[in-house]
Amino acid sequence: MGKRIVIDPITRIEGHLKIEVEVENGRVKNAWSSGTMARGFEALLLGKDPRDASYVTSRFCGVCFSVHQMASARALDAAFGAQVPWGGTLLRNLVMGAEYIYDHLVHFYHLSALDYLDVMAIANYTGKDPGLNKVKEKVVGLVQQGDTFPLTPRYKPDEFTVKDPEIVTTAVKHYLDALKMQIKAKNMGVIFGGRAPHYQSIVVGGFTQFPDINQVARFRSLLDQLAAFVNEVYIPDVVAFGTGPLLPLAKAGVGGGHLNYLSYGSFEMDEAASRLLFQPGVVFGIDGGARREPVDPDRITESVRHSWYKEDAPKHPYDGAQVFDLNRSDAYSFVKAPRYANVPMEVGPLARAFVDEDPTVLKLIKEYGIKPGAVARHAARAVETKKIIDGMYEWCDQLTRAMTKPGFTIHDTAHWDPPAESEGAGFFEPPRGALGHWIKIKDHKIANYQAVVPSTWNASPRDEQGVRGQYEESLIGVPVPDPKNPINVVRVIRSFDPCLACAIHLIDPQTNEIRQFIVE
Amino acid sequence: MIHVFDGLSRRDFLKYCAGAAAALGLSDLFTAEKIARALETAAKKPPLIWLEGQDCAGCTISLISVENPSPASLILDKISVRYHETIMAASGTLAEKAREETTREGGYVLVVEGAIPQADDRYCMVGGHSFREIVKETAENAAAIIGVGACAAYGGIPRGTPTQGMPLSKVLPGQSIINLPTCPVHMDHLMGTIIYFLVTQKAPPLDKLGRPLMYYGMTVHDNCRRRGHFDEDRFLTDWNDPEQRDWCLLMKGCKGPETHSDCPIRRWNNGINFCIDAGAPCQGCSEPEFYEEQSPLYAMGPATSRILAKKDAGLIPRKENA
Repeated sequence: MGKRIVIDPITRIEGHLKIEVEVENGRVKNAWSSGTMARGFEALLLGKDPRDASYVTSRFCGVCFSVHQMASARALDAAFGAQVPWGGTLLRNLVMGAEYIYDHLVHFYHLSALDYLDVMAIANYTGKDPGLNKVKEKVVGLVQQGDTFPLTPRYKPDEFTVKDPEIVTTAVKHYLDALKMQIKAKNMGVIFGGRAPHYQSIVVGGFTQFPDINQVARFRSLLDQLAAFVNEVYIPDVVAFGTGPLLPLAKAGVGGGHLNYLSYGSFEMDEAASRLLFQPGVVFGIDGGARREPVDPDRITESVRHSWYKEDAPKHPYDGAQVFDLNRSDAYSFVKAPRYANVPMEVGPLARAFVDEDPTVLKLIKEYGIKPGAVARHAARAVETKKIIDGMYEWCDQLTRAMTKPGFTIHDTAHWDPPAESEGAGFFEPPRGALGHWIKIKDHKIANYQAVVPSTWNASPRDEQGVRGQYEESLIGVPVPDPKNPINVVRVIRSFDPCLACAIHLIDPQTNEIRQFIVE
Repeated sequence: MIHVFDGLSRRDFLKYCAGAAAALGLSDLFTAEKIARALETAAKKPPLIWLEGQDCAGCTISLISVENPSPASLILDKISVRYHETIMAASGTLAEKAREETTREGGYVLVVEGAIPQADDRYCMVGGHSFREIVKETAENAAAIIGVGACAAYGGIPRGTPTQGMPLSKVLPGQSIINLPTCPVHMDHLMGTIIYFLVTQKAPPLDKLGRPLMYYGMTVHDNCRRRGHFDEDRFLTDWNDPEQRDWCLLMKGCKGPETHSDCPIRRWNNGINFCIDAGAPCQGCSEPEFYEEQSPLYAMGPATSRILAKKDAGLIPRKENA
């Protein structure tokens, strides 16, 4: 008989997430993913000036900040018939690129790394490196003070935990260095974005900050520093961990899940948008005979079969509603269940890598026999950070050329006022994956608003057919040798970079009684 | 001094320390005895509990955007982060236990980010408990309570949703709360308020909405560098026109004359920029009306009419007379 483990809250993610797993013979047999917090933005927007949407929906998330501002502005661009000038597109791309670098660094070093490191192994470091000895001094000092918060308490280190004192000390030094670098990335974005989190300058029709040449120079100089860190520290760290101590996890494909991938494609590389940095596409079943298709947004539906909303058949986002029903006993999440052609999808860095057939990621996978899963996800994230940086250099050059020519513009002012009646969809690939916003406008006001966000794809509950969402499926078979130490469960979940908050309890399946999960 | 161990025998305490040593992977380095001694004699860093309710974690990200002092020195040297969902290593019951123990110990700074749903507790549950109950329990033994961001201070964006997000003051009536609105919280406002409290053990002087006067004692308009253009009725209508680049943003929906904050002098993100300098209107995110009553954000609305009426009546002094 399986043992039920509930993890609530799952920390070091954005938002409130609870994960429940049933463990049998040391492996996860079944899993449930529940979003436990709701705000109901879409309902708030009804009847409002459509231009409010990009500002308000930015507040969906302050970690992956302003990605919704971008998707929302694109939905508004479509609905208003606005043509964003090339200058406006370049500025939008640059601030979103800055957000990517910050977001991926924070995810790897500050949200995920603690799952793989025995931080206290630092005490055994005996090398001579002055930088590493400073880190040792700091951590040993914390232990001697008896105050190692927030590094403890934590799950017990297991066989995949890195315990080599030199590697651990280096990784913790990089954790501290990355804490500084993520500020630089935000500072860079703020040069044009106004402030962060929550940029201010992306609006329907383009951008509000008319740039000057010094700002571009300042931006580029910070980009140089970040590029150095990503190329010399972040990527080598991820590769060293993934092909070293974590190789068994990588080869076993722990956390693989459904193996279907969706990317909307993003980041125009030229004015005609003839070239994109990330390609759009759908890949069904990456293991073996992968089937590739172009994306058709009309094939997206959202199911509320197991979600705390008024019961309804699966709907396309244009027609989706957001009426809560907290009393449905067959529901277990505030997250809806989006499906593409009735199939659950993974979105995010790994999806982009497979849709793009990224040569670096494919080479890593082939060379080391890595299967899609948690480790591959971290690798894809690191590799695409370099890709974004290369794109940003191109955008800086293009911006400098464009703004020094007469007639340079950043905004479609002719389409600033809301149309009487219209609708539009906006798609974007933020760090966490495929993001879509849909708006309907009537009498110059918002008549319906829906967003299908990356973590909705990944964290969705079961659908009409009872098919598990991607988090749930990715947990099946995950080793949990000790039910009191479900560290592999949180490793897999965090590899997606969730944008919700979570928890662990123990349920006895025979009595269905929920017991507090105590770690001695 | 370690109140958390009150009521525990020395034997229990040593058992706890042995557990701590094992959990830290220190068993071969430090004995339980040594850790016990260290715990008993350590100089204590002020503990912090940071709760997240109906939030977006934007205030958390704002906190880790301060260059000096660095986030590392804040988190590891200056304060003891006992509970913060987005930062802490622990998950699940392990995390909840850390919060409960610190609550019993008392004397901590409590920071709340996000609103609390009024319509139904089930809109925000953490570890199987309603967020409202968690806030009430955690506030009981707090030395100071800080509501960060517009959501905790006034309900913010969730206030207008079906969940009816409410501010801290509604859950904790009669308790003194320091409000640091703006969306998200300004990193300097938060850092400065924490430092002020740690130095004086008191809240800084507050206005009637609970905001520190040192940060919210003036309007955005008072110090706006576009103010001269406001006086001369030069209002930006086209972001593409280099001549209009620094003109007043009133016609794009700016609420600066009704908004209390030192943003124009302090600016954001280590002084690099802020909304108005980026050509974006002030949306009044430090005021109780944010967001719903500030709508429309980018067009002339009720706020614009009020501001223009005051301007016409000579109630907004010109720059040279201020």
